Amino acid sequence: MRSKGLGVVAFVVAAAVSVIAAFDPGLAQTIKVGAPLPLTGPLSPEGTKLRQGYELWLEELNKAGGIQTAGSRANVELVFYDYQSNTPRAVQLAEKLIVDDKVDFLFSPFGSGAAKAASVVAEKYGVPMLASTASSAEVFDQGYKNLFGLYTDNSTLSEPIADLVTKKSPDIRRVAILARNDLYPMSLANEFEKSAKARGLQVVFFEKYAIGTMDHSAALTQIQGGRPDWIVVTGYINDLILARKQMGDLRLTAPVVTMINGPAYNEWIEATGALSENITTASWFHPVLNYQSKDLFGSTQNFVRLFKDKYGSEPDFTQASGAAVGVILQQAIERAGSTDRDAVRAELGKGNFETFFGLISFGPTGMANSYVPPVYQIQDRQVKVIYPEAVKTGEFRLGVR
Amino acid sequence: MLAQIFVNGLLLGALYSAIALGFSLVWGVLNIINILHGSLIVLGAYLAFFLNAWFGISPFAAAPVAAMVLFIPAFLLQLGVINRVLAKPVLITLTLTFGLNLMLNNAMLTVFRADYRKVVLDPPLGVLDIAGLAVPVDRLAAGAGAICLVALVWLLTRTTQIGRAIVAVRMDRDAAALMGIPVATVYALTFALAAAVAGAAGALLSAIFPISPVASAGYLGKAFVICVLGGLGSIPGVVAGGFGLGIIESYGALWLGPEHAGTVAFVLLLLLLLFRPNGLFGRKGFE
Repeated sequence: MRSKGLGVVAFVVAAAVSVIAAFDPGLAQTIKVGAPLPLTGPLSPEGTKLRQGYELWLEELNKAGGIQTAGSRANVELVFYDYQSNTPRAVQLAEKLIVDDKVDFLFSPFGSGAAKAASVVAEKYGVPMLASTASSAEVFDQGYKNLFGLYTDNSTLSEPIADLVTKKSPDIRRVAILARNDLYPMSLANEFEKSAKARGLQVVFFEKYAIGTMDHSAALTQIQGGRPDWIVVTGYINDLILARKQMGDLRLTAPVVTMINGPAYNEWIEATGALSENITTASWFHPVLNYQSKDLFGSTQNFVRLFKDKYGSEPDFTQASGAAVGVILQQAIERAGSTDRDAVRAELGKGNFETFFGLISFGPTGMANSYVPPVYQIQDRQVKVIYPEAVKTGEFRLGVR
Repeated sequence: MLAQIFVNGLLLGALYSAIALGFSLVWGVLNIINILHGSLIVLGAYLAFFLNAWFGISPFAAAPVAAMVLFIPAFLLQLGVINRVLAKPVLITLTLTFGLNLMLNNAMLTVFRADYRKVVLDPPLGVLDIAGLAVPVDRLAAGAGAICLVALVWLLTRTTQIGRAIVAVRMDRDAAALMGIPVATVYALTFALAAAVAGAAGALLSAIFPISPVASAGYLGKAFVICVLGGLGSIPGVVAGGFGLGIIESYGALWLGPEHAGTVAFVLLLLLLLFRPNGLFGRKGFE
């Protein structure tokens, strides 16, 4: 009898606490966001960078008192696991995050391939997933309702550069493309091929290299034989450091050399030294940009300052992408006034998020379509914006030696 | 173009020899598949990178320093840790070096971060033009350094008492012990020598390849293929395997496309395993 009485008292106390919590805006609820990250394995540099972006956003969010929802504020907990750069593992962990950890929303794994694979799980459970680093249209062609990508389509990288090249020099006729055999770099290479052909340029070389390649000399020797005017190499930073070094070793020169994604990183410029001169690239974000925003950071430059204070270096686009998906999710939840997935999904669909990364809206497939990634060129070991006109800091130069 | 591809293959092959030398030594003498090997190369590359960044020391001059720095910790590691499991099945030693590799790799990720770096030679060493063929001097120097390294280890095993002891232990551990050779110490010396060679190789490669802890798996994979190709524990086999792989990959990339360069090498490796399982220079017993 005594224990039954205690049980009733405990129930009443618990109920009272719940009621108070529901009506007291001072007591915070917790929103859980899941993130499979490649913290070990070949993609660990990128995974570490994404995590830095997420953590800066979380730190600033906590300082600001959390996410404002109707009548209360909510803390955010980031639940992440290392998928060891192994895509099937990323998919398993995305499911674990939803089923076991009961996360409210997801940030995607790194890159296009893993994001596409994990989006199947997000769709199955109806969990909105923000893809921080997926730029291949193939990721978004599945008709899913829960996938939202921060990056614009790869063609938005190739088209402006192709325009610049053909306008600058009508003598540029022959193009060579060397691509890492991976979803994103291949998709990018295909876009460059389309952009070149659409302008009447002749693609004299188009080859893929395997992931983990330690030598590009044979491919570059073949490229040399094709006497291209414009060389495009796609891949990740290690591939592009090696490829640029070996171009120098073989004295392979051309009026234009485009490499994506490499020169947007400071570490790429440091690792290639004088060989970085006049390399063109494009990227969705760079610390030289300066957008004013209505997010937690207020502007690109404030984001850059906070990042430098925390990590001691300038953010690159991967780090910025991690923070950007955070502020987008935050704005969507605040607009929805709740963590209800349907309401947040609807707000994400409406877009128009003014962020430090740029104005973000999503197209019908869920891919961002609201901004044009700038084109950059390394000049005197500095990154200059050469397109678009509005944010230009330098003129496009020909000649890569 | 064919001649240039051949030169490219030769230069690459010399670097591959350096990558595989220490791995072959440990596998041949200790019968350990040393998963730690790739990370030791990366550690050597980092040492060269920082010596260059802080004191302006050339990575080629840093190679002996990297070798010395890695020698003593490796000696102690073998003596205190790995020797304890040497008599166990190969899976145990494999698991141990796998675990040690995880520890070293993660330590490097924490200390050096995952960012890619590279030694940039200032001024650059340039490119030689030999009969119209481009020969990058830094690759040539690194390749020459690699061959010197192989020659040094070969001379050591042939002409010194320690070297003969290593060969004797490799031939027959029990007989060597009966002859009064301190087998445990010889194992430790062999592992330390292999680590020193890996460190020196890393320093030589630091101006050629991007440096990051995540690069270690690539080095380990190449070392494995070269050892099987050249013959387990054979020092001349390392040179043959390195050059063989370099040239095969280069022509494979030319004829079948860059993405299939590795495939060609692995198909040849499988054929070799079928028809000459001891590799090109490998022999059962000793060299």
